[in-house]
Amino acid sequence: MRLKVKGSETYVATGGKPFDASLPTLVFLHGSGLDHRTWALQTRWFAFRGWSVVAPDLPGHSLSRGRPLTSIEKMADWTWHLLDALGVTNASLIGHSQGALVALEAAARQSERSTSLSLIATGGAIPVNPQLLDTAKTNRPAAVDAMLTWGFGESYQFGKSDVPGQAPLAIGNRIMCANPLEIDLQACQNYTNGENAANKVSCPTQLILALNDRMTPLKAGRQLATQLPNVKNVAEIDAGHMLPIEAPENCLNELRNFITALD
Amino acid sequence: MSKASFFQPQTIALHSGYQPESDHGSRAVPIYQTTSYAFQDVAHGAALFNVERGGHIYSRMTNPTVQVLEQRLAALEGGVGCVCTASGMSALMTTFATLCSAGDHIVSAAQIYGSTATLLRSTLKRFGIDTTFVDVNDTAAVKKAIKRNTRLVMCESIGNPGLDIADIPTLAGICNDKHVPLVVDATFATPALNNPIAHGAHIVVHSLTKWIGGAGNALGGAIIDGGNFDWGKVKDKFPTLTDPYAPFHGISFYEEFGPSALSSRIRAESMRDFGAALSPQNAFLLLQGLESLALRMPQHVENAESLAQWLLEHEAVAWVNHPSLKSHPNHHLVESLFPKGAGSILSFGVKGGRAAGAALMDGLQLATNLANVGDSRTLVLHPASTTHSRLDAAAMEAAGIKEDLIRVSVGIESFRDIKNDFSNGLRAAQRVVKAAGGTAPAARAVKKPVAGKSAAKKTVVKEATSKKTLTKKLAKKKAVGKAAAKKKVSAKKAGR
Repeated sequence: MRLKVKGSETYVATGGKPFDASLPTLVFLHGSGLDHRTWALQTRWFAFRGWSVVAPDLPGHSLSRGRPLTSIEKMADWTWHLLDALGVTNASLIGHSQGALVALEAAARQSERSTSLSLIATGGAIPVNPQLLDTAKTNRPAAVDAMLTWGFGESYQFGKSDVPGQAPLAIGNRIMCANPLEIDLQACQNYTNGENAANKVSCPTQLILALNDRMTPLKAGRQLATQLPNVKNVAEIDAGHMLPIEAPENCLNELRNFITALD
Repeated sequence: MSKASFFQPQTIALHSGYQPESDHGSRAVPIYQTTSYAFQDVAHGAALFNVERGGHIYSRMTNPTVQVLEQRLAALEGGVGCVCTASGMSALMTTFATLCSAGDHIVSAAQIYGSTATLLRSTLKRFGIDTTFVDVNDTAAVKKAIKRNTRLVMCESIGNPGLDIADIPTLAGICNDKHVPLVVDATFATPALNNPIAHGAHIVVHSLTKWIGGAGNALGGAIIDGGNFDWGKVKDKFPTLTDPYAPFHGISFYEEFGPSALSSRIRAESMRDFGAALSPQNAFLLLQGLESLALRMPQHVENAESLAQWLLEHEAVAWVNHPSLKSHPNHHLVESLFPKGAGSILSFGVKGGRAAGAALMDGLQLATNLANVGDSRTLVLHPASTTHSRLDAAAMEAAGIKEDLIRVSVGIESFRDIKNDFSNGLRAAQRVVKAAGGTAPAARAVKKPVAGKSAAKKTVVKEATSKKTLTKKLAKKKAVGKAAAKKKVSAKKAGR
């Protein structure tokens, strides 16, 4: 589905069902340089079982037009603008990596509108290796290679794919090379409000962390869990940083168990 | 480097897509000889059918053994996805049927495999899809042939059997300008010698039956999706990928799958509806071949180049064609596109024409006369009377196929034994020429039909001219020295 958000055409994946603002809404927020396809194996399940799904491409990413947003705070505000444009008052926020920082900040900024918060493969901050940041600015494909090397765990480095015949690393490469990775990484690097935001979140929260995460260390996620006031569940899955793609079933099961248990 | 793996190709071929499974630790890829897969429960089955979860439903669409082969081929070619099919021809048909509908148009190289030409020229025409054939490296002709309803440009990276090398970067540039995908049949090259996607191609097709399998014991095909073509850039141009697809709840493959829209659509529609599935047994056999491809191809290439040189210098040989020879019209492309060698197919003609050629082929003992290429064993064929026999004279000429052309798929036997075999065969050919009194039996043979008379005269004249040229060369040989002259005659013979 395409709609205007703050004057820019925005693409939103709806999980194969038309968007319906009267249903409970789930917002899926992607990570640095990525897009809505991160959530291909989670969104359809919810969309076909009574939820409305919103998985946008951030401005300037993949199918969305507009200038890329330069800070996590701006991305958080933009998320609420998107929901305003859709006529949604309350929503469950789900984010992966950078998307988790956006979800965290968005939940802190409009706590009353946040039904729940699901944070995947993240910490309260995602400091970016300065060399990676420099590389992203001067040679994006090289930075993408580095991120795919660190981002995917062992089985995916060995060519595993949960979708037969697909090559997730190559798909990631195509998507990330076409998107403003360096701007996203800089936004992550600059974000320092995680602990403060965590203290403001009141909605039920879950964390889904990766045991073999080489992008955002497991300990950072565990620490964030201690800072959030209403954590219902912390799951640790044997996979790398790209959890929604690498461990789609586990990730979906954790989300499903948490979200279906909400009132 | 592949965009789908950080391993080197040799490692990808052995390891990608499979690690020892947890139940039994099988090191070799198991053969999942099953038609179907048990659902955990009703919800699980429903989720699989609704593309909510990854996994296997029925082996016509996916199979775990076939999947390993697909993962490896995608990684080796640097694609975002791969779909394996029952044969190389089904891979081509599936690709065409996915991108084209009635009223659409294809631009194809004229220098392609006979069955592919027939598919494009006759079969697809019956379904309302027209094809314009052009010289693969005539860039002006390629540009001119692309129309508003053109949905793809098709070529072979090394043409069968003319061995024209497609200038893939140039063709890809034209295709990008005109916004049509470039489909490259890379069967003759294999991923070990050339990766078309790295040179700008958008889709790669293989007949796995050939070098990838290598043993001549299993049919198979593959389509590798480069993920580097923006299907949605021009509205309504590729509706099969951008428009809602009713059988899947109105899914838009472009929006849902992005870079892998094509391979996803092929899986969802073509494998389901056309049913050209690769069997797990064949996938297993092809995997065995793929695992040693990187070792075999250098030997194939070395033997082919050696045989080409040896034939070039043989007195019974009229001409030799292999891209490694300087006389090959596309030799200049070899260094940039095929630094590891331009395959192991060569073609040549024997003095004495078709009858002498037939004597040669019947005189071979090691090399087998059959309609296949890419076996580890050396194979020979006379395309004009077999694979390309359905083409008319004009199409044969456009495809660069002469009446006397003998195609050799050079194997990995000892080169000494290959050379000895062809030496025996050429002696048999020479005996035929001698028995005919030194004239060309083939020239006499084509005198039979009335229409062939002028052609026969032309052939005789050409032969006479060749003899005159050779006499001149021999005279010069005396003048300039034996070794230098021999080199020039050899070079002349190499011309097609």
